This record gives sequence, structure tokens and C-alpha cells, in this order.
Amino acid sequence: MLNLLIFIPNLAALAILLGAPGRKTSLVASTASLLLTLFALLSYDKAAGGYQFVSSSPIVPEWNLSYRLAADGLSLVMLLLTAIVTFAAVWITPRFERRENLFYACLLFIAAGATGAFASADLFFFYAFHELALIPTFLLIGLWGSGERQTAAWKITIYLALGSFVLLIGLIDLYNAIPAKWDTFTRGFDMIALQKAAAAHLAATGQPLIPVAAQIRPYFILLVGFGTLISLFPFHSWAPTAYASAPTPAAMLHAGVLKKFGLYGLIRLSIPLLPAGAQHWAWLLLLLLVANIIYIGFVTIAQHKLDLMLGYSSVMHMGYIFLGIAAFNIVGLSGAALLMFAHGLSIAALFAITGQLRPQSPSLSFATLGGLGKTMPFLGAAFGCAAFASIGLPGFANFASELMVFFGAYQPGAAPAFTSNYRLATIFALWGVVISAVYMLRAYRAVFLGPLKKESTAWPVATFAIKMPVILLLAALLIAGFFPSSVLAFLKPSIEALLPR
Amino acid sequence: MDPHLPWFILLNPLVSAALIHLVLRRSSGTSATVSVLSACFGLLAAVGIWFSGQSGAPIEVPWLDFGPALRIPIGFIIDPLSRLMLLVVTGIGALIHIYSLIYMEHDEAKSRYFGNLSLFMFSMLGIVLANNFAMMFIFWELVGVSSYLLIGHWFTRDSAAAAANKAFITNRIGDFGFMLGILMVWSATGSVVFPEIAAKIGTLNLSADFLTAATLLVFCGAVGKSAQLPLHVWLPDAMEGPTPVSALIHAATMVAAGVYMLARVYFLVALSPDAQTVIAWIGIVTAVFAALMATQQDDIKRILAYSTLSQLGYMISAIGLAAPGAAMFHLFTHAFFKALLFLGAGAIIHALHHEQNIWHMGGLSSRMRVTFLTFTAGFLALIGCPFFSGFFSKDLILLAAWQHNTAIFALALFTAFLTAFYMTRLFVVVFLGKSRTDAAAHGHDGPIAMTGPLMILGLFSVIAGWPWIQNYALGEVSSHTLHLLHEGGGSVPVMILATLSFLAGTGGAYVLYSGKAKDPILIPLFKNKFYIDELYAALIAGTQDLFARILAWFDKWILDGIGVRGLSGGAWGAGFVLRFLQWGNLQAYSFLFGIGVVALIYFMVFAK
Amino acid sequence: MTLTLNDYLLVSGLLFATGFAGVLLRRNIITIFMCLELMLNAANLSLVAFSRFNVNAAGLPNYNAQVLVFFIITVAAAEVAVGLAIIVALFRARQTTHVEDISTLKF
Repeated sequence: MLNLLIFIPNLAALAILLGAPGRKTSLVASTASLLLTLFALLSYDKAAGGYQFVSSSPIVPEWNLSYRLAADGLSLVMLLLTAIVTFAAVWITPRFERRENLFYACLLFIAAGATGAFASADLFFFYAFHELALIPTFLLIGLWGSGERQTAAWKITIYLALGSFVLLIGLIDLYNAIPAKWDTFTRGFDMIALQKAAAAHLAATGQPLIPVAAQIRPYFILLVGFGTLISLFPFHSWAPTAYASAPTPAAMLHAGVLKKFGLYGLIRLSIPLLPAGAQHWAWLLLLLLVANIIYIGFVTIAQHKLDLMLGYSSVMHMGYIFLGIAAFNIVGLSGAALLMFAHGLSIAALFAITGQLRPQSPSLSFATLGGLGKTMPFLGAAFGCAAFASIGLPGFANFASELMVFFGAYQPGAAPAFTSNYRLATIFALWGVVISAVYMLRAYRAVFLGPLKKESTAWPVATFAIKMPVILLLAALLIAGFFPSSVLAFLKPSIEALLPR
Repeated sequence: MDPHLPWFILLNPLVSAALIHLVLRRSSGTSATVSVLSACFGLLAAVGIWFSGQSGAPIEVPWLDFGPALRIPIGFIIDPLSRLMLLVVTGIGALIHIYSLIYMEHDEAKSRYFGNLSLFMFSMLGIVLANNFAMMFIFWELVGVSSYLLIGHWFTRDSAAAAANKAFITNRIGDFGFMLGILMVWSATGSVVFPEIAAKIGTLNLSADFLTAATLLVFCGAVGKSAQLPLHVWLPDAMEGPTPVSALIHAATMVAAGVYMLARVYFLVALSPDAQTVIAWIGIVTAVFAALMATQQDDIKRILAYSTLSQLGYMISAIGLAAPGAAMFHLFTHAFFKALLFLGAGAIIHALHHEQNIWHMGGLSSRMRVTFLTFTAGFLALIGCPFFSGFFSKDLILLAAWQHNTAIFALALFTAFLTAFYMTRLFVVVFLGKSRTDAAAHGHDGPIAMTGPLMILGLFSVIAGWPWIQNYALGEVSSHTLHLLHEGGGSVPVMILATLSFLAGTGGAYVLYSGKAKDPILIPLFKNKFYIDELYAALIAGTQDLFARILAWFDKWILDGIGVRGLSGGAWGAGFVLRFLQWGNLQAYSFLFGIGVVALIYFMVFAK
Repeated sequence: MTLTLNDYLLVSGLLFATGFAGVLLRRNIITIFMCLELMLNAANLSLVAFSRFNVNAAGLPNYNAQVLVFFIITVAAAEVAVGLAIIVALFRARQTTHVEDISTLKF
């Protein structure tokens, strides 16, 4: 099943490169992926839980390295996110004059990379699949971007390559920190076995699998590595410019899906294996995430262009996900995981709509826009929904997850005062909710409300190809927002299994 | 009681809103019908709940369930308080829906209007029914957004868009405190459900400071939503919305949500005397300041808006004065007469082709009979004329102030005087005298769908305060407070003083304004709302925006410029320097290579 | 007088040094090439000498070294073919065989 899920976009991308019609093939492939993902979700045995759809083919048996795929609830939700956003991104891709096929192939390669990373249960492939997705991102921004696309493309690529490099060092350090042998467990790249061994070791001896002192360094390196990929302050400056320059579908896929890889990795690896490291560095993470929320929040307020504003806002919202991860309890982590899903959908919808404005107003500067709600009622309303979703309005999944993050982060240290760092960070994060309302509503007002500034008959009409993906994204947000338990049913057991007890 | 009834009340406006926004966007007539029908069904269901009494088992479904770690249900609380509020919200809501049929008849976005109105009903009823803090917060936010949408209904007007933003963001500031208060209460009690908190919080021996902090933070939510100082600035601007919206949301229901919430969590408020003092003072100061501002406004809706602020101040203050029953009583009567006044103002605005300046009106009493008569009823109720509803409820609040705090009582009395003054000013200028413009000379009453709600509300404005209605409607909600107040004594002097201040205000304003064509007094400080808006604008520009610009500059030039570009520049520079080593002479390379080999051999073989 | 291993190695070293000096000092690329060949042959000579003087119990020399010499001769032949071809192509393009004139790859 998971093999097929990775296979479809890769095959379709190759077929497109070999001359198959770009749009049609990608549409078929992304639809097939979406349906298959839904089927996987439905056939996942929630009662049994754990990892399912396991398949494994050994590559280097001596190193215990194999092409191993498996999915638990967390992976499945991320796979669903990937499938939905890919589907929407392919649908919304405009017509290109040149090299259209290459464009679609790149999109599908990104999707394949993300799918592979989320479905891998082997450290090596987990890492390698993510790298696979980086190269097409570079091509997409460099070839089809707008503005200073060359600079942005180089910046994001080198920055993320550096981040990946740090991540690789972190992974090696983590690997070295794991004892080579314990009971029946032999050290290897199998993430499932690692997680099981960590739980068993804790249950048997009361001590974590990796000695407390040995957890400190790998966690720090992983935090920096993953943090760079997630645009954790101060490693964020690649994100806004890249998203501002990227063609719409690429921005959707990267901000919506690929960026979540780092968070996913942090949850998947650091929670079960490095709990003491996480505790040791909690102060640092809290500090950085508050900077993500407050500092970036203020920077976002000062933006005068819609695309840059959205880029910064997506950086800011990472702070909330980090807060959930830092909380290190079931409520906070579930909130973080749900927020990954919700943020991916909402930011994709925002970029999708913003992309429709670009042909008419390449700069997307607030000063030149205004009153578009009148001329483009559908896009105006949809942008409003997505904007409200992203600032955490009840009814959308973002609210439910932010609520969980707040409750989760406020929980630790039962002392009824504002003493603990967690509580201080929660207070800042709550203030961030006000900040995000300020910038988002200001932007919405500047672009869609007020009198029409630029009289033009050529404002795009929302065609089916634009409406459908936007509606799909918003509908998914609403469903998950009204019934968060439907998604949590998948997330909660997997996260409970990851958390050391 | 049928457990489906609350579900029906809550979900029926949601279905209506969804239907209108998703399906009926283009057929405005059908949208209006759907919305009005849903509002009427809601009223019927609320009446049903009213008569069927207490609920047996709690009605609850899990929404977020993490076992002992966190449990947030969607649950309903059906007690006298919520039954009363249900009746008020659905009743006034239904009337205003009907009224809107005429008022918004020719609006080009009628569907959107009615869809958002239904969305508002959904959110407001959610607040009323919520049995826990988190659910209340959910609907609290939703009310904020439906208010945002309705204020910004005519979003192509820049002022409307600005007012909508201001309302939402100001409310969010209050919600920041509210959420923090919820978290504090939750961290102490481990629950967000009201009955559970109420049962537990008294047994925990929490420190007084903690309780005060938690209560005041929760109160922040009410400060935002009920527009108390210092977050009151959004309400007058919210008058940019259509007038029925002002009547429903910004006079009768949503802004009263803060009072309702405080009454709901009174078990918490009661634990902290310090917090109560703060609440009482904030309420009364708001009442005085808003009344002072109202005396110098020229826009009919703005006068009413400041009046709303002032009356809300009374209610909040009553909560702080340990008289939640009095607050709810005033909320109950105020909902009727203030909705009536707004709808009356709306009728005038409608008849005068969107003229809102009172100095462009005048002499309307003879041409708009129904509007005039009903408006008079609302006017008399608001200024506390004896035997009108407002008299009874305001009297209770004054009595509570008399018994607790003389200073607050003096301010409350002064507010009563000011209320009578500015309302008489409005009344005299708008209805009496000669018509000062052409439009005012030709205004006339609207059709029955417009005057009907006015008449019904007019009736209630008169009788809603009468003791037997009070006993019937409020019953348990106010009985405890009433009991305490009767024990305290002083009702006779309070009543006399209140009547005197009412007479003084009315008389003074009548003498000053009767027959005048323009305002004889000018107090810039009041007219410009104590320059608070300007102060805030300067504060926001001077702190937040400046700070934002500095940080953006820092991010762009220092962090990204010197940091990131510095690193990449460093790499480039190192490469530039190092390439001078490659001077391109093959033979020199091989010479160095030879030396290297010789050195290697030396170190490997001879230097052991 | 019998020739010892040292004599062979001396000659080989001289040859190698001559070749190396030629590579370092000459400017004509063909000469450099010839000098390179000289260095290779110096290595060959020492290999053969080592082989001859490393006799095992049966009195046979160690043939490994001699095999290596054949390898070197073969590779050298191939290298000459390729190298001369490059030089000819270079001469056609630049009309020169002096290394100082061929410095395009320098920045």
C-alpha cells in the first residue's frame, strides 16, 4: 500500500518527463494518491493501533538497513495532508508557456519525497526521501519563480542543505549514542525497533535506552537541524523570501507539507529516544519559540506585501507547534500534530488564493491593492475563511489544535502561579494570537475590503480549477475543526506510544 | 425536557447559516426567509425550554477528550439563568430578523447579511448554553467573528472595514486575558466545566492573590466583549454596521455576553473581594465616562452606542457590588429598551434616507407616530422614569451601590442624571420642534414588519420591569440578590434620589435644547471622546508599529543581512582568497608535489 | 666486480631525478612528456632490480615486480597515445607547445 503511494507520483513524474501530458497525468496521479491515502486511513485498524502496512526489503543486512515502510496514525495524518495539498497544488497550477511538463514532474517529485519521508520507518530512507524533495524545490523556484527568484532559490537550497547536513550529523550522533546491543535489540536504522526498544528499556530498567548524559548533545544537534528545516528562529530567514518568490503550487507544497517534515521528525525521534535531552533543552526551545511567535509576529505586522506577510506568518505559526512539542505531554503533542495538519491546509489555501492575484499585481503590495472582495467575491470569502482559520477561529482545525497546545503547555508544573517557563511561554503565545489577528486582519482589509483601488476588468474569475482545491482545503479544515476527535483518533494512540511513560 | 431541544436551538441557526452561505448565495429572498424562519423556530424552542423547566441529566458530548489530562465537552447548562437568556436572545433575535426584512430589503448583499445574522444567533446561543469555559470561549470567538462580519457588512466603505478590524482586535485583547484566566482556573481545578469548578474551587484553599488574578483575567474577557474601559473603543465604531445589527449585537445581546458570563461564573467572582472592587470601579467609571461622551455626540446611533456602554457599565458594576441578580435584571430590561431605541433610530434613518445626524432631523413626532410613541417608551425606560422597566432595574443597582460604596453610588447617580440629560437632548432634537431638513419633513413610518417589532419591544420596555414580571422571568436568578438588597435597607432614599436626578437631567436638557437648531454647548473633550481613540492610535503607532518596523529592519538587515548573508559572504570571500594559491603553473605544482613526496618519505622512513 | 642492488638503485634514482628535473624545468610540453617517460622507466628499472635480488628458496626471482613492470609499460604506451593526441590537438588549436602559453584554465 505505502509502496504504491510512493510509487505513483514517482512513476507519473517519470512518465511526464518522458513525454506524457503533464497536467492530465499529474491530475490522475494526485487523485489516485488521494484516494489511496483515504483508503489507507479507512483500512487502518484503529483498535489494533501501532504501525501497520509494514513492508521491508533489506538493502544492507549487516547494518540492519532496509527499505522499510510503515505507518502509524501520525504518519497517516501527515500522508493525508500530503495527498490533499498535492492534489490541490496540481489542480491550481496555472498554464505555463515553457517546460510545463518539467514543472509537473517537479511537483510530483516533491510529493513523492514528502510521502516517502512520512511513510519511512527506516532512518536512512526517512532522511533520503526528504533530500529528494529539496532539488525539485530549487528548480521550481529558480525556473518559475517571481521577483528575485534566483537569489531566493539559492538561499533556500543552500540554507536547507546546511540544515540537512546538521541534521545528518545529529542523526549520526544519535545513532552512536544508542547502545549497540541490549537484550534482543541490536542497533540499526529501524525506527520501529528503536521506539520499541526505548519503551521496553524504560519499562524493564526504569532508565532510558540512551543514558541521560548522552542525550544532551544529539538532541541539540537535531533541534538545530530540524529547526532549520522548520524555520525555527533564528534560522528562519530563508522562508519568507522563498515563499514570496516561489510559484504558487511550490509554495503550497513546501509551506504546507515539506516544512512539516522537520516537526514530524522531531516528534518521531526525539520524543521516544531523547526525552531527557528534550527536558534539558526545553528552556532553549521555549525561548526560541517565543521569539518565533512574538519577534516574527512583529516582523509580520511590518510587512507591506501579501506574499511576504504570509511567508512570515507561516514562520510565526511554527512557534505554536513547537510549543506543543516542548510541552511534552499527550495534550500538547496531539495539539502540535493536529496543528501541523491544520496549518498545512490553511497556509496552502492562503498561498493558493494569493497566487491568483499575482498576474494582475506582481508586487502584491498592500498599497496597490484594495476592495477586491467586490470584484472577486469567491476568492475574497475563501481568503477570509483561510485567514480566520490561520489566526485560530473556532470551527477550523487550527483553533482546536491551538487550544490543545495552550492547555498542554500550561499543564506542566502544577504550581498555581506564573512561575514555570512553560507558563510564561504560554502567555507569550496567547499574546501571539492577538498579534496574528492584527496582521491578518490588516492584510485582509488592505487587499479585499475598502474601496476598489485598481480598476481592472482582468481580475481573475474563480474557475472550477481554482474553486475546487480551495473548497477542498477549507472543507478539510472545517471537518477537522468541528470534529477534532476524528483526526485525534489516529494521532492520540500513536503519540501515546511515542511518549515515554 | 426533551434533550433534543437545546441541540435544536443551537444547531438550527447554524444549518440556516450554512444553507444560506453555501447554497442560497444568489437567491436573496429565500435566504431571508430561511433565516427569519430559523430565528422564529429558535424562539419557539426557547419558549418550549422555558416551560419545560429544569433538565434532568446533563446533556454533553465529548469534543476533546484526553481522559484526566483534559476534557472539553460540548455540553449544555439549562438553569434559570440560561433559560432567561435564551428567551431574551431568541426573542429579540426573532424580532430583529423580521425588522431586517424591511431594513435590508434593497441591500445587494442581503443573503450574506442574513447568513451572518444566523451565524451570530448560533454563536450567541452557544455562549448562553455553554456548560464549560472552553465551549464558552469557542462561541465567544465565534460571536466576535460574526460581529466582525456584520460590522463590515458594507465592506467597501473604508470606515466600516476599519471598524470591523478594530472590534475584532480589541475583543481579541480581552480574550487574551480570558483564555489565560481559563487556563489558571483549569490548572487549579483540573476542569473547565462550570459545575465541577464550582464544586471544587472552594475546597482548594487557593491563595487570595491567585483567585484575584484568575477572576480579573476572566473579567478581561467581559471587558472586551462588553466594551468596558479601557477596551470600549470598538463599540461606537461598530455602529458602521447596519442598524438592526447594532440593535441585536451591539446593544441587546452580544455586548451583554460579558455580563452573562460574569453572572455564570459568579461563584468564582464571589471568592475574591479585591477583584469585585476592581470590577465595580471599572464598571462605574465606564458608565460615567460613556455618559459624558454621549452628551456631545451628533450621530443618533453613536449617542445610543455610548448609552449602551454606560448601561453596560452599570451592569458590570452591579456584578462587582455582589448583586448579579440586579445585573441580570438590568440586562433583561435593557435588552428590550435598547433594542427598541436602536430599531426606532433605524426606522428614522431608513425613512430619512440614511441620515444619522440628529441636527438634520427634528419634528418627527407628528409624521412618524408609531416610531415616536414606541421610541418614547424606550426613552422613558432608559432614563429611569418611574413605572417604566428601566426604573426598576436601575434602582436595584443604585441600591446595591448605596449599600456597598458611597463613592460608587454618587457616580451611579451622576450617570443617571447624565443619562436623562443626553437622552432628552436626543429626544427633543429629533422628535420635537421643526423639521430642519427636507428629508426630515417627509419621513414616515415603515410597514408593519418594521413597526410590529417596535410595538412589541415598546410593550416590553414598559412592563419588563414590573415586579410580577420580574418575579416570573428572573425568579431564582435574582431572588438571592433581591433578598440581600432588601435586608440592606435604604431603598426609599435611593428611589427618591434616583427620581430627582432623572427629573433634573430631563428638565435641564429640555430647557437647554428645546427649539434649538444647533448645539448650544460645545465641550470638545466630550465630543472627541476624551481623545482616547487618538491616544490609542498614537500608542499603537508609537509602540506596536514602531516596534514592528524596527524588528523587521533588524530581521532584514541584521539577522538576514549580516548573519545569513555574512556567512555566505564569508564562504565566498574564503574561496576568493584561497584561489590565489592556484597560480596555474604546472611545473611549480609538480615541484611542490616533489617536495611533498620527499618530506613524506623522510617522515615515514627516517624520522621514526 | 659484481653489481649490487645499490648500483641499480643508484642508476634508477639518477634517471628519476633527471626526469623529474626535466618535468620541473623544461617548458616544451613534448620534452616534459619525454621526461615523464624517463621517470616511469626509472621506476621500471628499480622494480626489475628488486625482483632480481629478491630470490626465494627455489632460486627463482619474485615475478610480481616483473608483472608490475609490464603493467607500467602497457599503461605508459596507452598514456603516450592519449597524451600525444592531446598535445597534437593542443598544437593545432594554439600553434604552440610551450606550457607558459597554455594557461586558459588559470583564473
